[in-house]
Amino acid sequence: MKKKRRISFSTVYLALGLVIIYLPIALVILYSFNESKISSVWGGFSLKWYRTLFADKAMFQALGNSLILGLSSSLAAGVVGTLGAVGFDRVRPRSRRLIEYLTSLPLMTPEIILGMVFMAFFGMLGIPFGMGTLILSHTTFCIPYVFMLVQARLVGMDRSLAEAARDLGAGERQVFFTITLPLLLPAIVSGMLLSFAMSLDDVIISLFVTGVNVNTLPIKVYTALKTGVTPEINALCTLLLAATLLLVGLSMLWSKISRLTGSGR
Amino acid sequence: MNRKLNSVLALALAGSLALLSGCGQATSSSEGASSAASGDTLLNLYTWEGMFPQEVLDGFTAETGIQINYSSFDTDETMLAKLEAAKGSDYDLVIADDYIVETAISEGLVAKLDKTKLSNLGNVNPIYQGQFFDPEDAYTVPYGAGVQTIVYDPALVEKPITCYADLWDESLKDNLAVIGNYRVVDGMALKVLGESYNTADPAVLEQAKAKLLELAPNIRLIKDANTQDDLLSGEVGAAVMYTSQVTTACLANPDLQVVYPTEGVGFGIMAQFIPSNAPHSDAAHAFIDYILRPEVAKSCFEWMGYYCTNKAADSLIDPAYQSFLTLPEDFDGKTEMIQNVSAETEEIHAQMWTEFKAACGQ
Amino acid sequence: MPSRKNTRRTPLTSRWMGLTLVPLYLFTLVLVLGPLVYMLVLSFETRADVWGVIPQFTWANYKNIFQPVYLNTFVQSLKLALLCTGLILLIGYPFGYFIARLSPRGKKFMTAALMIPFWTNSLIRLYGWIIVLRSGGTLDKVLMALHLTQRPLKLLYTYPAVVVGMVYALLQFMILAVYSSAEKMDWSLVEAARDLGASPAQAFFTVTLKLTMPGLLSGVILTFIPSMGLFFIADILGGNKVVLVGSLIQDQLLQAHNWPFAAALSVVLMLLTSLMIGLYKRVTHTTRLEGLL
Repeated sequence: MKKKRRISFSTVYLALGLVIIYLPIALVILYSFNESKISSVWGGFSLKWYRTLFADKAMFQALGNSLILGLSSSLAAGVVGTLGAVGFDRVRPRSRRLIEYLTSLPLMTPEIILGMVFMAFFGMLGIPFGMGTLILSHTTFCIPYVFMLVQARLVGMDRSLAEAARDLGAGERQVFFTITLPLLLPAIVSGMLLSFAMSLDDVIISLFVTGVNVNTLPIKVYTALKTGVTPEINALCTLLLAATLLLVGLSMLWSKISRLTGSGR
Repeated sequence: MNRKLNSVLALALAGSLALLSGCGQATSSSEGASSAASGDTLLNLYTWEGMFPQEVLDGFTAETGIQINYSSFDTDETMLAKLEAAKGSDYDLVIADDYIVETAISEGLVAKLDKTKLSNLGNVNPIYQGQFFDPEDAYTVPYGAGVQTIVYDPALVEKPITCYADLWDESLKDNLAVIGNYRVVDGMALKVLGESYNTADPAVLEQAKAKLLELAPNIRLIKDANTQDDLLSGEVGAAVMYTSQVTTACLANPDLQVVYPTEGVGFGIMAQFIPSNAPHSDAAHAFIDYILRPEVAKSCFEWMGYYCTNKAADSLIDPAYQSFLTLPEDFDGKTEMIQNVSAETEEIHAQMWTEFKAACGQ
Repeated sequence: MPSRKNTRRTPLTSRWMGLTLVPLYLFTLVLVLGPLVYMLVLSFETRADVWGVIPQFTWANYKNIFQPVYLNTFVQSLKLALLCTGLILLIGYPFGYFIARLSPRGKKFMTAALMIPFWTNSLIRLYGWIIVLRSGGTLDKVLMALHLTQRPLKLLYTYPAVVVGMVYALLQFMILAVYSSAEKMDWSLVEAARDLGASPAQAFFTVTLKLTMPGLLSGVILTFIPSMGLFFIADILGGNKVVLVGSLIQDQLLQAHNWPFAAALSVVLMLLTSLMIGLYKRVTHTTRLEGLL
């Protein structure tokens, strides 16, 4: 009895949370169909912002750049952060704190300072500004997310499995790939998802390290300041959300199918 | 031992990274040289987002075959820092605000214009020429001007507004929006006191600070982006905002009143310039000349919503836009531009601004 | 020393696997430490008249911070960050904990549902909040329909609006951190505590909370640090009337062109943030935690 009631409370809590999280998003979607150019007042239903959007080649180019940047830097951060966290396990306790602190520094440095310093730094090394510098700097500020989440999962993780495998004669690499990595996977995935979101949203650092003709989506939105942000961007967000939902739905469907066929065998 | 090995490896990798990047730069710079020698096929444009209608950019490409790479920045300062890091190369044509152009010129980052390539230069409105940032008009061609006006909604304001001093009225409590530029906002207090925007007198600035702090209770918000929405949705009754925002707001709600403050009007000019090491200088000249054509300028200014700096385009502008894009005929010309000031004065302004914002929050 | 280490824990990796640290070291050394040194140097230089810096040593930038108006921004930032982190902890901890108790499918669904909104532009999400909070907006309409208020409230451009925006922007960090920690928790320990006669509350505080502490810690760090620097939200939802260190740094860089002062402000901000986190770690004994588990 008691147990049942607690579960229902948690369901209500989670549902309510989702409603609040999705409320502004829902309004963004609704207002993408807004006739008016004013972003906060409803002026009737219209598809004109979608028409504007589809005519805007530069916008899709920016979207492409943002996706390439987000994917590469979250992937790079995923690899570097995870490897680092695993290797960190054998760092001497005394140096642990220092390394932990140093890796979390990009989170502490004000974005604009980081952007300016990155710019000066790349300029000094003579690295040409563009996608390369963007990926390098995004990876840098994404690493802490993966590192910290994987770290949190490693602390107090059940090591008996890995030990057992080693006792049974499994090689180092084998243990890592068949036991440790799967156990860490949820944290790695969360870290990479966060990284992707952070990269997809960063504007300040990107503004400083980007090069000729590498506009990202946030740069396009943020720099429209002088002329005003139009609901065209709402329309783009709506399409992006729809695409993401479709992908998530498909992947869930796929895993269900593969599970069904797997059990049938 | 193990850790030592790690750090050696780290250094080795860092070294190879630097080497790699060095190679990358070498190839890219040689590329730049070859394209500059032959006829330009590219134009790297660097300015705020949304400064040109798409058809104007497409028209240029159709006519000349030159592709336009449109890169955008958020603030003048980001632009200048970036241009400095790139040592005046990478970009072919920049459009930015007057004061930063002055700095860019003094830093040696701007190339002189080749006026023989600019056949339409005579179309520029002389009001906007020979200004402080480029007294000889050797480096720049203006592209749009902003005029600091007050906009208010008569339905939401008790008394009509005619000057800056009216903004201090108690009836405007929590009902005013201003942009986040401290020289403009501090300047409002200076104008009420009858002083110059660019005064360096600490005593005058001290007075201005006291005056500005009295304005704090009336401030509902300080914002740069989309301030017109707050006026249109009724969040505030009066606003001091960017010219393009004034245009957008007035087109959406014709009842809004635009006021040229009687204390004197501030204005700013956006200027086009070619960086000192621009890879495609010819393309940049061609673009400037193209934009100077009256019919092209007309669509640009109608799109941007800034005051038209092209005299020949004035008469072409749609009547609906006339009053926002051209100065009124009875305009008395009491204007002043905000200019760069010394480090000490800048510090006083910055501090005044921080205190003002904090006072607004209370 | 090595023997003690072995009794403490079995390393997951053997010697050659230590190489996995190389990329992390590389990034930290080149792209974290490098910029940091640059910033430190900059904070002791002198500003040029209009643009740039003069390489001339000075303490003036640090002295400047001690003016009441600038000290006040640090106090305001700290206050807001503590308030927001506290609220996020209260809201986010149960959220992450509840997700960890769901079925595998429920977990997958919830993590996806949590992450998707954050793949949209943050500026646009804030505009969504403007629609909710503006006078006569969604919230006003709901409140008035329920007869809780008579006329539109002025909710936008106030302090509470800033807090709402900050909590909204950073909540997912806490949820994910708590979730990833609670998910791997050994629930049999909780059951054992219950079997031994502990009340649900007792079991929670003696077992669950302790076991999820690492996640909670990274959650707090991941929310506290950005909330010290975030000023974007205060600008857009608060009408720029709450002066935070972040926006002061922005103003100094982009309007006053005083880079050394901005660098000095950043150094102090980072020191303050580090100090708070060190303090928090000491209070919660997380340094001892690893040995405990």
